[in-house]
Amino acid sequence: MSVTSPEPRTGYGRLMTGVLRGTLKLDVLVNRIYPSDFNPLYYTGGLANLFLFVLVLSGIFLFFYYEASLGGAFASVQYLTERVPYGGIVRGIHRYAADGFIIAVLLHLLRNWFTDRYLFSRDNPWISGMFLLVFGGVIGFTGYQLVWDDRAQALTAMFLAMLRVLPGGEPLARVFVGGAGISDGTLVRILFLHIGPASALYVLLWWHYTRLRHPKIWPPAVWVLFCVGVVFLLAGVIPALSGRPAAPAAQPTAFPLDVFFLWPFWLMNWLGAPGVVVLLGLLTVAGFAIPYLGRRERPQEMDVRHAGVAQVIDGNCTGCELCYFDCPYNAIVMVPSPAPGLSRAAANRTLLAVVVESRCVECGICIGACPFEALELPKFLERDVKTRVLEAVRA
Amino acid sequence: MRNAYSVGLVLLIGLSLLFAAGIVAGEATDRWFFGGALVGALLIAYSIIVLLLRKMGLIGPRKAER
Repeated sequence: MSVTSPEPRTGYGRLMTGVLRGTLKLDVLVNRIYPSDFNPLYYTGGLANLFLFVLVLSGIFLFFYYEASLGGAFASVQYLTERVPYGGIVRGIHRYAADGFIIAVLLHLLRNWFTDRYLFSRDNPWISGMFLLVFGGVIGFTGYQLVWDDRAQALTAMFLAMLRVLPGGEPLARVFVGGAGISDGTLVRILFLHIGPASALYVLLWWHYTRLRHPKIWPPAVWVLFCVGVVFLLAGVIPALSGRPAAPAAQPTAFPLDVFFLWPFWLMNWLGAPGVVVLLGLLTVAGFAIPYLGRRERPQEMDVRHAGVAQVIDGNCTGCELCYFDCPYNAIVMVPSPAPGLSRAAANRTLLAVVVESRCVECGICIGACPFEALELPKFLERDVKTRVLEAVRA
Repeated sequence: MRNAYSVGLVLLIGLSLLFAAGIVAGEATDRWFFGGALVGALLIAYSIIVLLLRKMGLIGPRKAER
């Protein structure tokens, strides 16, 4: 068995090793500026959660004033922005928090990709995270439609063109607009497509966290204050404003671009609707496939991963719960001890650790957590690890 | 370095007072965007104050990391 991993042979492997080293260097650099528990790179998921929370709160406020009809949507948003005290600020907060959410999600994605935190049992948070990203994109796009200004009208026309490219796209387009043409029902549907997936984000988050014991779901206070502050500041300095009201006869050809949500529509200038649909499809499939493609190390090269499911040595277990708290995969549960342990430390135990085999990824963290030698990986015993460490030190 | 942090803290506290006064002024004159922007500026100033306090060792680290 080899302790060190072989150098990656493929170009992709070398590239990923390069970005891994770059990411770690960036960590070190940021840790020089901030204390390590304030390093924002460690809280990209928590930052996304913070922005989502801001989005939900501001969205509820906006919802009270919004009227989902062709005649009322634009006017209700204008009323909110100009007449309601701080309504324009809340609208701006909603808009900039959405950008913050996507930036945090993309940073989270890149960081976990570059540091290999998507392989093996971590494919679960990766896949749920990809759903979160896709849903986030849809929610952001429909948010721009709800304003029902000239940009919303152009976006809707372009989106319908993209839908019609798909097989069976014409019926889909009819379902989206709610009939042969755009009507009041269209905006009701768009509102549903904005709020429905937004609510689903919390279900996806539950899935995202389901196998993580200590997820960092909230950033430190310094970053909460800073991010909320930036969102308020932007909302005040660069207010989120509507364009001209949508008009049936108008055919706008240019509109302000939000690079985080509307870039596919910008690409339509060159690729056309079919090209953008193909590109979005490819990107989505590639994103979901990342955990299963381009692994830098094959299982046989990572023999430590095949060390066998962790086994509890019943006689030594004291029921102290250290392994239970340290296992990041929720693979250890504590059950009432049926009998005392054999060692002196385990004689008065009340609990016994049990490994849930389907969850164990054979990582060995529990072995390090246990001071009583009550856990072992059957094909990678603790004494063998010590021997190899000593050999490596001597070499 | 501690002296520099202390000077920074005093400056930020002064700025925060200014921002707070601006928020009141914005509210009094119905300039909502002005007031909202200053709420943001105040929060950012607070965040930097928290960072400086941490760097000075007056707050944190969290119990688990001591």
